[in-house]
Amino acid sequence: MGNAVAKNAEFVKRQAIATARIQEKFSEGRQFLTDALGEPILWAKSLMDAFDLIQLLRADDVLKFDFLSDITAYDNVDGKDGAKRFVMVYQILSTTTHVRLRLKLAVDLGEEPTSWTSLWPGANWLEREVFDMYGIKFKGHPNLRRILMDERFVGHPLRKEYPLKQRQPFPDNVPLHLGPHPLPTKNT
Amino acid sequence: MSKDGSAMIYPSLLAEAVKWARKNSLWPMPYGTSCCGIELMSTLSSTYDLSRFGAEVVRFSPRQADMLIVAGTITTKMAPVLRSIYEQILEPKWVISMGACASSGNGIFDTYSVLPGIDEIIPVDVYVPGCPPIPEGLIHAILHLQKVIEKNIERTPAVKPTYEDAMNAMTYSKCAQAAVVKSAYIVTKDGVAQNPAGQNPIDCNLGGNQNGKCCC
Amino acid sequence: MGKDDINQWDPSLDGKNLTDFYNPNVLINIGPAHPAMHGTLRVMCRINGETIEDAACEIGYLHRAMEKLGENKTYHQWIVYTDRMNYCSALNNNIAYCMTVENLMSISVTERCMWLRMMLMELSRIIDHIICVAINALDMGAMTVFWLMYHWREEAYTMIESLCGMRLITTATRVGGMVHDIPDDFIPRMKKFVKEFPSCLREVHGLLTGNRIWIDRTKGVGKLSKEDALKYSITGPCLRASGIDLDLRRDRPYYAYNEVKFDVAIGTYGDVFDRYLVRMEEMKQSVRIIEQCIERLPGGPIWVDDPRVRIPDKIDVYTKMEVLIHHFKIFMEGIDVPPGEVYSAVEGPNGELGFYIVSRGGPKAWRMRVKAPSFMLFQSFEHSVVGDKIPDAISALGSVNIIAGELDR
Repeated sequence: MGNAVAKNAEFVKRQAIATARIQEKFSEGRQFLTDALGEPILWAKSLMDAFDLIQLLRADDVLKFDFLSDITAYDNVDGKDGAKRFVMVYQILSTTTHVRLRLKLAVDLGEEPTSWTSLWPGANWLEREVFDMYGIKFKGHPNLRRILMDERFVGHPLRKEYPLKQRQPFPDNVPLHLGPHPLPTKNT
Repeated sequence: MSKDGSAMIYPSLLAEAVKWARKNSLWPMPYGTSCCGIELMSTLSSTYDLSRFGAEVVRFSPRQADMLIVAGTITTKMAPVLRSIYEQILEPKWVISMGACASSGNGIFDTYSVLPGIDEIIPVDVYVPGCPPIPEGLIHAILHLQKVIEKNIERTPAVKPTYEDAMNAMTYSKCAQAAVVKSAYIVTKDGVAQNPAGQNPIDCNLGGNQNGKCCC
Repeated sequence: MGKDDINQWDPSLDGKNLTDFYNPNVLINIGPAHPAMHGTLRVMCRINGETIEDAACEIGYLHRAMEKLGENKTYHQWIVYTDRMNYCSALNNNIAYCMTVENLMSISVTERCMWLRMMLMELSRIIDHIICVAINALDMGAMTVFWLMYHWREEAYTMIESLCGMRLITTATRVGGMVHDIPDDFIPRMKKFVKEFPSCLREVHGLLTGNRIWIDRTKGVGKLSKEDALKYSITGPCLRASGIDLDLRRDRPYYAYNEVKFDVAIGTYGDVFDRYLVRMEEMKQSVRIIEQCIERLPGGPIWVDDPRVRIPDKIDVYTKMEVLIHHFKIFMEGIDVPPGEVYSAVEGPNGELGFYIVSRGGPKAWRMRVKAPSFMLFQSFEHSVVGDKIPDAISALGSVNIIAGELDR
């Protein structure tokens, strides 16, 4: 396990309680695993299921998952994590019990998971980054544009078929006035 | 004053005086983007005082500065900003490219978003190697620049990119031209187009390939 | 009616269309090349007079594709990229990344390595907070604080240079150990640093904390309430300044943080003044942790005795054949990491720095994700700056400590 893991007794107890609760209440029909550190991973059944699941997890008073750590994705082009193309990964944390949970969701090309911006406004930029890097669109996102790459960049860089060194520079991509480009909307 | 009214001795002394004044009062404009920017701040602070060499007045407006120190990685999204800042500095101006990222794109960052060296878009006078260069390295570069100014008051670097060169550099992808890797998109002088031939990565034997596909 | 009656003057009668000038909503673009934008940040504001009504931030001007490089470089080759992310506290990033790979391979580092890494993490926390407070003060005109604090950063640099040869970009850790053990004069120098650094904190407190100008410029500026801090998922000193008690060193202690005594500073209002105070207090607590680490640093090897990752000593590589082959295999092929995934986070100076590695076996990662704290902080900045004036926005940006390398990766 390594010595860089939390091993004080109260945390271990709380993690055991939380894991038992997740397994008891939320894991029928969904795959429950643990990762290399023993942290729980829960696979959502379908696109809609992920959104319902997170609302249930937030509302649960034993688990109290109230903090969104990270939203990311990875490319499943070799098919080792299911048949669909991408796997979305949501990391959530509880600020009271300090237990982490990883929610995974299989997404195919063209499928659009529901955006989590209605639950946490902080999910806005995280989902924009997933869209920029992988091309996964989110339903209900207020402002789905590219965030790290230039707006006119073609392609999604973190997909496995995009070569590392393929450059696409543009000469006049800094609008020094907000003229022809649409005014970016703020998080609502 | 000679017979035809032209002053003979004074212009050479005047030129020397102007050179001396210019080299000892370079006003840097720090254009610090990443890690080299922190070393630039260290150089400007009290331990490696840059003001000993005259470059104390750090002006953040390009119109008020005469030396542009580009410290840090310049990406293709940032390149037009750098070009427009460079054009706003009035002559005479000098450019120091600090660090490996600004000088050549830094071998470790040979990726889809990094500009391989600022000399593709602006003319550079002094390159400072290092990742990041230690403050003594930057001071050495400024002293070298002072020697450059000493020798010729007009800056004539070997290759001075014109505006057209800069625009071409910013729209032309070297990797696509070398055609080492074929991908779904090709970048040409006119823009980015879909590659109907599809993805055909070439086996490259640079060690440790995953599934036989190209790693670069 | 007409030009004589000023109350009923119609600007369009002038022959020019001046109605746009009377529009209170002016759009201003600050950055990406701006002195107060630390690096390459761009903030587009809609202002009414001088008050910001709406702000949108644009990032990506330093995107160097580190996550894509993580899929193309071996685990050791990627250590150099970790320092370039949060370049103000490079040692912290190195240690966090190597910790994640070690967790994935279920390796426990030796005691000496563990205590040394803790000491170096706290030293990087001190130097990162020095930069944040010094630059924040410099943006507001307090240059003396910048000169004073930078001297201590140079002292820390000298120590780090004696450890690994470089000042800023260190790459001082490897998977399973450190690249060099500390030299003999490291501990005496560290003791001297720890004894003398609190005097700098006292000086800065004397200059700023009771200073009427500083208080007027920082109290109530860039406020982020408790609920907003949780909604925008920020972590680190800014979260603690807003009143939420979350510190990974105390709540999910990694290494031996449950054996060291330290306090966690919590603010109340979440404005620039609170963030400054939280950072100053954290520096003091880091000094306390370093003192305890110095006392408890054991002797012994710095490398774990695991043949999968142990990089042999150079003297053996030059004299023994099997060791040479082992060295060759580690560096040319890479270490063999078992398939699996892990998310491991440390409490960095800026917040929760997490690495999520998905491995399908082999020497290269399948997905290398970096959860950078500055990303969420800059998102919350858009929200916290509404209602402040433009100079206040500049001081709020300095206090949030956005490091562009980490933001764009």
